Amino acid sequence: MDARPALAGGHRGFAPPTEESMQAVAAAPGKSAASVRDDILGRMPVTNPAYVAAVVSCSAVVAWAFFAWGYQVVGGFGHTGVRRPTYWGFYIVNFVFWIGISHAGTLISAILRLTGANWRKPVTRAAEAITVFCLMIGGMFPLIHIGRVWLFYWMIPYPNERLLWPNFRSPLFWDLTAILTYLCGSLIYLYLPLIPDLAELARRSTGAKRRLYLLLSLGWTGSDRQWQALERAMKLMSLVILAIAVSVHSVVAYDFSMSVVPTWHNTIFAPYFVVGAIFSGIAALVLVMAVLRKLMRLEDYLREIHFVNLGKLLVLMSLVWLYFTFSEHLTTWYGNLPGEIQVFNVREHGLYGFLFWTMIACNFAVPFVLVGISRLRSIFTIALSSAAVLLGMWIERFLIVVPSLSTPYLPAAWGDYAPSWVELSITAGTFAAMALLYLLFVKAFPIIAIWEYDDGVSAR
Amino acid sequence: MEYLHAEYLRTEELAAAIRLLQANGVPRRALELYSRRPVEAVTPLLPRRSRMSLGAVLSAIAVGTGVTALMYWIQLDYPLVTRGMPIVSGWATAVVTFEATMAGAVFGTLLMLLKESGLVLSRRRAPVPDLPDEGAVLQVACEAGLPAVRALLEDTGANRIEVVDSSA
Repeated sequence: MDARPALAGGHRGFAPPTEESMQAVAAAPGKSAASVRDDILGRMPVTNPAYVAAVVSCSAVVAWAFFAWGYQVVGGFGHTGVRRPTYWGFYIVNFVFWIGISHAGTLISAILRLTGANWRKPVTRAAEAITVFCLMIGGMFPLIHIGRVWLFYWMIPYPNERLLWPNFRSPLFWDLTAILTYLCGSLIYLYLPLIPDLAELARRSTGAKRRLYLLLSLGWTGSDRQWQALERAMKLMSLVILAIAVSVHSVVAYDFSMSVVPTWHNTIFAPYFVVGAIFSGIAALVLVMAVLRKLMRLEDYLREIHFVNLGKLLVLMSLVWLYFTFSEHLTTWYGNLPGEIQVFNVREHGLYGFLFWTMIACNFAVPFVLVGISRLRSIFTIALSSAAVLLGMWIERFLIVVPSLSTPYLPAAWGDYAPSWVELSITAGTFAAMALLYLLFVKAFPIIAIWEYDDGVSAR
Repeated sequence: MEYLHAEYLRTEELAAAIRLLQANGVPRRALELYSRRPVEAVTPLLPRRSRMSLGAVLSAIAVGTGVTALMYWIQLDYPLVTRGMPIVSGWATAVVTFEATMAGAVFGTLLMLLKESGLVLSRRRAPVPDLPDEGAVLQVACEAGLPAVRALLEDTGANRIEVVDSSA
């Protein structure tokens, strides 16, 4: 047998590859790089009735959400449940939730890329796509929430006829800059490692598809000069995108903590939000991977070890989240300030008590039991825990936004909040939009980075 | 100009071929490697100077400084009611400055990638070989002495060697 090493890319990153990590990335033993390439591209969905039905169903829900938004734009913001004193409702909850999930891509992909974790290779593109889609969806909510969406351009700094510039001190303007930066960065971070795969797709396509892939691949030839430049760019981008990701959710937290609403004016909010974002991002990634694995028959690539590794991260983040939640609630309870303790009481044993304990169960008890106990740990239980965490994190966002606003300092101003059908429709539409974007993405692009995976297979 | 394309399936043979060519006076600029995946084991033999980090840092500084200057000018041009706080404040604009700096780094990296990879502004007009499913193609630009280079490569375990004219 020829013991010489096959032509391989070897390992990238700071840490040397371990035997375990190499086994993790290797697909079915004995497969050549070429067959892996054929296999991954062969699993891209074909336009069959099931695919069309899924796209049409998701499009219908998204269309309904757009109708609801149009109804709100024409009839006014009174069609929502948002009214005095609860000026922020489902839209802001969804905004924080989706921006939080967007951390899946950058933090998973960038951290694992920088630390040289080889098992990341089948996972990164799915994660990076989540980031871009979540940002597109989350970024819509400030537009929906401002009501008069046609005046959105007032946020853009340009000297109008009255020289009214935007207020750079406003956290809402910080949001605009942070989310735009993150969206641009994430799009580029998704696109760069896609270029070699686009060239591969161009080689295998014909007609208009080939022309499109050729255009998108920018004339990639696979020269060493291009590989070296891509490697360098991805390392740099990983560093930059990490900083941006942390800053974005900190800025979202500043929307709350810069105000003097009870329990919001809080120094722990920025790191608390970042932790929650990473936590929900990992959960979203696991859930998406589980669905893709089933639908696209990716069992050879998205294997149990990937789910177990992400499941361990999920449990770790669950504990960190619990620590932050405990710290935040303990200081509120111990401080016993009249305005804050009212919110605390309403949130824990009052109107929202059920939601609070559901959140604790979903975010801590479920993952801790199902993933933490090794005998119960399986792909199904890890995916189930991730679904529970997503539900719990949505409730967490709701419990941050609504109880504080509906229980302001003056008891005479207390009120309640119930979402209208418009808000419920738009919320449902965002989940359908996420599914629709993913369906379209996996149809056009390989969900596993072929060249990175190829590299790992050859490096066995 | 004529180019010699030698296809290799093994890293060791490819590395040996590059070393042999360099030992026989073939300059670095005459060598290029084409493959469907990065061949990092050979990268040290074909080093490339990169200014990507410098470009990203300079771009970050330029965009960050530019946006901060714009905010400074705007806050003086259109002072808001700040309830006793300074009109121009670093704390109030730090977030926007940070995001602009990061955006500068992102776009700087992208532009440097496009330039250094030759995807844009490339002056190199060498023929691109068909990439094999496995292995890599070593391209040698032969201004003169093609037979000598070919003779050198023939003993290095190349799977296939062919001569291509730049007009091809």
